[in-house]
Amino acid sequence: MAFTSAVPAADRLPVTVLTGYLGAGKTTLLNRILTHEHGLKVAVIVNEFGEVGIDNQLVIDADEEIFEMNNGCICCTVRGDLIRIIGNLMKRRDRFDHLVIETTGLADPAPVIQTFFVDEDLRDELRLDAVITLVDLVHVQQHWEAEEVQEQLAFADVLLLNKADLVEEAERQAIEQRVRAINPMARLLTTCNADAPIDQLLGVGAFELERALSLDPGFLIEEHAHEHDDAVGSVAFVEERPMSLDKLGSWLSDLVAERGPDLFRMKGIIQLEGKDERYVFQAVHMLLDGDFDRPWKDGERRCTEFVIIGRDLDTKGLRSGFNACVA
Amino acid sequence: MLVSPEGAAAVKGTAPLVQERLCGQLQQAITALSWSADGNALAIASAGGELLLLDFRAGCEELLRGDHDASLDAIGFSADGQFLMAVGQAGELLLWELGGSGVRPMAFAPLPLGAGWLDAAVWQPAGLLLAVAAGRRVRLWDGAVRQWHPGSLELPGTAQSLAWSADGRRLAASCHGELALWNPLDPAAAPRRAPTASVSLALAFSPVGHLLACGQMDRSLLLWPEAGDGRPWQFSGFPAKVRALAWSDQPGKLAPSLAVAAADHVVLWQQQDRSEQGWKPEPLLWHEQRVQALAFAPGRPLLASASADGSVGLWDGRGRLLQALEGEGQGFQALAWRPDGLHLAAGGDQGRWWLWPVAVPGRERQRRSGGAGFG
Repeated sequence: MAFTSAVPAADRLPVTVLTGYLGAGKTTLLNRILTHEHGLKVAVIVNEFGEVGIDNQLVIDADEEIFEMNNGCICCTVRGDLIRIIGNLMKRRDRFDHLVIETTGLADPAPVIQTFFVDEDLRDELRLDAVITLVDLVHVQQHWEAEEVQEQLAFADVLLLNKADLVEEAERQAIEQRVRAINPMARLLTTCNADAPIDQLLGVGAFELERALSLDPGFLIEEHAHEHDDAVGSVAFVEERPMSLDKLGSWLSDLVAERGPDLFRMKGIIQLEGKDERYVFQAVHMLLDGDFDRPWKDGERRCTEFVIIGRDLDTKGLRSGFNACVA
Repeated sequence: MLVSPEGAAAVKGTAPLVQERLCGQLQQAITALSWSADGNALAIASAGGELLLLDFRAGCEELLRGDHDASLDAIGFSADGQFLMAVGQAGELLLWELGGSGVRPMAFAPLPLGAGWLDAAVWQPAGLLLAVAAGRRVRLWDGAVRQWHPGSLELPGTAQSLAWSADGRRLAASCHGELALWNPLDPAAAPRRAPTASVSLALAFSPVGHLLACGQMDRSLLLWPEAGDGRPWQFSGFPAKVRALAWSDQPGKLAPSLAVAAADHVVLWQQQDRSEQGWKPEPLLWHEQRVQALAFAPGRPLLASASADGSVGLWDGRGRLLQALEGEGQGFQALAWRPDGLHLAAGGDQGRWWLWPVAVPGRERQRRSGGAGFG
């Protein structure tokens, strides 16, 4: 299933999804976004009513409700409450120009993300800007085994390592390494009181294909398979030889058919055989999207870079599957 | 697109139904329109929380609520015209007591429900019960005693849509995975619960006969005979969510006509025979964007369809386009026929509202004596 909309991205309202385990600082960050003088009119959908409340701001309570749209197919699992509430909210479009959705600390981010690609109304009226995950540097080590914590890290486009003032630098670095092993493609920011620059949080464009891999240029220079034994992890491939789009397409469709529920996110810039343009690709579970991007520049290193983030990844099997796609 | 300076264009070969219009402007998108049963009052609500009451007999209008910013999403007059209700973003039930034409409505203290944004509430036909969808509960406010009814309907998910049967004895409520049918007048009877694969976004009982139509999010239509007791027909293959439904009050061969909206399609369904394939669809393809509202004129085989493309189509009982009405650059959000079937109110997505007198087409006029007089 592709997740593009016929409506140009510029005509759709940007949405930021805010995740993070209990106590990671989501409310602090929301209050910063609502009070900051960034010139944006922000509407916020929260799950814990009453904690956030600022005069003259659009803060709406929603009751997290999962809809399984298609016999439990994981990529068709969406947030029904968001479809209803945002449907009502869009009639007030002039009141806001950015939407922020806070998830509960124990939420799997996938249904929220998928809502904006699967639901026909939301897909045409909104566009996902980025998933921001807050990491509590003080307590994350205690919750590391929680599935939700690892999923929230895996789905992030922007990771805030928060409460840096409360931990030693050595500990912060250890956590950063472990976070990087799970998610090598997110933009990583270290913060105290969630004090990240607002322009690094809103207007990121992480789901726009042409910007899909531009958040942190150079993150893929070396291939890696990390040593941590967390259930959720990542693999990255770099390939100098041109790839075959047909082979890549059938490998990926078989892969998501077999392992879709365990594949959280994938992103890639592909060098295709006989093409002067880069091919860019991304996926959320079983939702795949890919298209030609700009031509390769003179002097640019022409190579394919490919990242997979998921649960219980078979690095060896994925490597040989990927290698077989060389043209 | 059909445009004319009068804001109304007749389709070739038919005399225009619509002659003049009345219009006005609220601050934000019109979300709901409702007529009182006697046709003397029209209430108009907006996404900016405004509630305008037009009193035609007294020839005046009053902004019942205007200094709030929380959207109002469902409004309605009780069948006897005694109460006006509104619910919306603030999560409160607002009620006014109407003293009759020319008398200022008296506001009740708002009743908070603690269930977030409210967008479904419906008065019982020919009764004084008001059903309100409040999260995973459907509550009833009883106008006869002016308080909450002791019973409520519990659902496994958030109530999305509500509808009363024409006799007011049955209330249908939908949530994800379930359709519940409840007779609140019989406390001993347990609600009947039918599992559904998806969720009903629109529910409507036929005004004659005993059919319940459910417009489903999974792009299908369910039709229950015997007011929900039988086995439903299911029709799939709509281009999008089925978001609006309207039954005609004119008896058909076996059942009245049903109009259904999904994306930019309107589909007119008629029952030809009692077999599995007895319901025949007639697609009415003319709108260019999402159809937001459908309504049959009371007492007439005349359907109005309102679209985000900025047009209202008027169709005859066989699905022929009679006339197009234009929204002056705004998409349409809501429609409501006056109970006389001769006046149509519509609301736009930028706050404009219109009221058109709709004449009786030539052939139909011979069988009717009603005029197009207003007020």
